[in-house]
Amino acid sequence: MTTPIIRTESLTRFYQRGPHEVRAVDGVSLSVSTGEFVALVGASGSGKTTLLNLLAGLDTPTSGDIWSAGTRLCDLSARELARYRAQRVGVVFQTFNLVGHRTALANVELALYFTDIPRHERRQHAARLLEDLGLGDRLDHRPADLSGGEQQRVALARALVKNPTVLFADEPTGNLDSDNSDKIADLLIDLNRRGLTIVLVTHDQELAARCARRVVRMHYGKIVDDSSTEPGESAP
Amino acid sequence: MTFRDMIDLAAGNLWRMKLRTGLTVAGVVIAIAAFVAMLSFGAGNQRVIREQFDELGLFSMVIVRPGEATDTTVATELTDSSITMFSQLEGVSLVYPYDAFQLTADVLDTQLEASAQALTVSALHTPFFSDYRAGRPFTSDSSHEAVVTSVLLQDLGLENADTLIGSQLILSVRQSVIDSALIHLLDLGDGGFERRVRAIEFRKLRDADYRDSILSAELGSAISRFVDGYMNATVPVAETLTVVGVLNGRRHGRASVKQILLPASIARRLAGSGFNIGNPSAMVTALASGRISFQTNGEDNRTYNQVTVLMTETASYEKLRDTIQAMGYNTFSFAEQFKEIRRAMIYFNMGIGLIGLIALITASLGIANTMIMSIMERTREIGMLISLGATSGDIKVIFLVESGVIGAVGAILGIIFGWLISRLGSTIVQTIMEHEGITPIDIFDLPLWLITIAFAFGTVVAVLAGLYPASRAARIDPVKALRGE
Ligand SMILES: Nc1ncnc2c1ncn2[C@@H]1O[C@H](COP(=O)(O)OP(=O)(O)OP(=O)(O)O)[C@@H](O)[C@H]1O
Ligand SMILES: [Mg+2]
Repeated sequence: MTTPIIRTESLTRFYQRGPHEVRAVDGVSLSVSTGEFVALVGASGSGKTTLLNLLAGLDTPTSGDIWSAGTRLCDLSARELARYRAQRVGVVFQTFNLVGHRTALANVELALYFTDIPRHERRQHAARLLEDLGLGDRLDHRPADLSGGEQQRVALARALVKNPTVLFADEPTGNLDSDNSDKIADLLIDLNRRGLTIVLVTHDQELAARCARRVVRMHYGKIVDDSSTEPGESAP
Repeated sequence: MTFRDMIDLAAGNLWRMKLRTGLTVAGVVIAIAAFVAMLSFGAGNQRVIREQFDELGLFSMVIVRPGEATDTTVATELTDSSITMFSQLEGVSLVYPYDAFQLTADVLDTQLEASAQALTVSALHTPFFSDYRAGRPFTSDSSHEAVVTSVLLQDLGLENADTLIGSQLILSVRQSVIDSALIHLLDLGDGGFERRVRAIEFRKLRDADYRDSILSAELGSAISRFVDGYMNATVPVAETLTVVGVLNGRRHGRASVKQILLPASIARRLAGSGFNIGNPSAMVTALASGRISFQTNGEDNRTYNQVTVLMTETASYEKLRDTIQAMGYNTFSFAEQFKEIRRAMIYFNMGIGLIGLIALITASLGIANTMIMSIMERTREIGMLISLGATSGDIKVIFLVESGVIGAVGAILGIIFGWLISRLGSTIVQTIMEHEGITPIDIFDLPLWLITIAFAFGTVVAVLAGLYPASRAARIDPVKALRGE
């Protein structure tokens, strides 16, 4: 096993809903190594999205720690944490979350506003990546004029354009038909082969087994199973 | 994220909501346009007044009047020796009296009663007498030339000033000559007359009570015969002059110009040796003013009710004013008056500014409303920006820039509209002026300071209006904003 790129220790995230305390993430200690492809599975409401948001620096834990390449996220200032989001992690959401009034190209470009990439290079970067993802002729289309699969590929491009060290994908195929799901899955597998660390949230067992060598199962905020298969081995 | 990126984002978002942005901007445009139009009127007026003051050299002019007697001081009169005294003061370039009298003028076959004013050539060459409609000043203090004002032109029913140039002007005054009067009185054998007149305190004759007491005491006796004698012993004195110039007869408060300006020594011949006997009280005034006297120290006894003191460019009017006032005279200075006009202008501007501010506050409510709507619609986009690495500070600035752009665009358009309104107003006013026979002047002005203030005003108020919406945007929780539907 290589060095962990992301590591949590006794991570919790509780929500107060009226008199009840919702333990969305409850004492999670997890370590993800560079180049790993981890599938996070579990029933609806088991805390997968909450954990992902914490790892992506979008949410703050109630207690516990997250380390990313040796830095403790809670030690970072708001500005440094923003920089972490901008440069080190890429996130893909189940609901694409593309900006409706921007073209595919402009949506991808938006991710570079917060990086050090100079203005004039942003467009090239974004266009090249969209072409790589087979959207070369869709650059000027707005999200409404794109199919679900195409939208998700634009969202993927937006997450990847800044060359993140980890990709967090939250049910990227949840809103897609099987053809498009397969396409996304192939893309993810390919990216991982080229060295990108990926954490994929899904409740699609098949997808998890197809993509990831390591499947982490959550249940009521806790990790209940963490199993790895050897390379080449197929899922049980 | 650079400032340019933020402007791009803001402009993109505003452009997308053209109608809504347009209506919001319109509010700012109206407020700024009204502000600019009104203030450009104030600024234009101030410029016109300053230009007129400058043109006539009023800034360097101090008008001196006699000082009234108070409980502790005696009245100070303006005499030829006071003029000499003033001209020796530091910073004084020229002093001349306001020496006016009534006469009869014959010009172009018309006879009319007019008032004339004696001037030296050096006084006539000052900026105050520089606004010629036609012709030129007279050339020496004794040349048989006269300058008239457009008031005389009007009195003659003439339109064209050039028709007067070169024409003959016969001026006549019915004068009482002191000698002829005395001879007349002496012929009556009243040897005590001179003694009794000498007993009269001439300077006190200005006081109505004293004058009445003298007149009633002397009524039916020597004085009345003296009056009678003067009345009957008048001789007409006339001078024939050539009109060489026509001045614009504008009046400037305390400094007025009579219809006819005469070279000083010509005027002296007409008015200096005697007095005009329109009525006995004028004669008494003449006695009091020393224009006639039983002693022959003549000129020195002349008094004036106004003397104009001109300063050198570097002199301070405050210092001169204080010096002359300390001598017991009253002073009036146009520089001071202009200061007061400016002070009044500042209040006027502040009032306009307040109205503009109220209009702008109303517009800013529109901006706040637009921004809040826009932020609510774009919650997901804001969440996305945060997940892509925006800090809450970035989000705040993005929206402040957006409201600032509304303000800046509104202010620029407002300045342009305000300028158009002022041009329209100027055209209307100038047409009316022309119609009324006044030389049209542009009373609107759009100085750079006004443009700067209007722009800053619009932008700053808009940014302030965006503060609350922007801080709301900055507090958006990205997790909630990005979750599900
Ligand atoms: N903002 C919140 N306030 C209160 N409770 C919340 C909040 N966000 C999430 N939860 C609760 O936390 C729990 C975990 O939610 P989370 O979205 O992480 O589940 P999930 O595993 O991603 O589910 P799904 O598969 O349906 O997406 C749920 O019970 C949810 O209701
Ligand atoms: Mg989820």
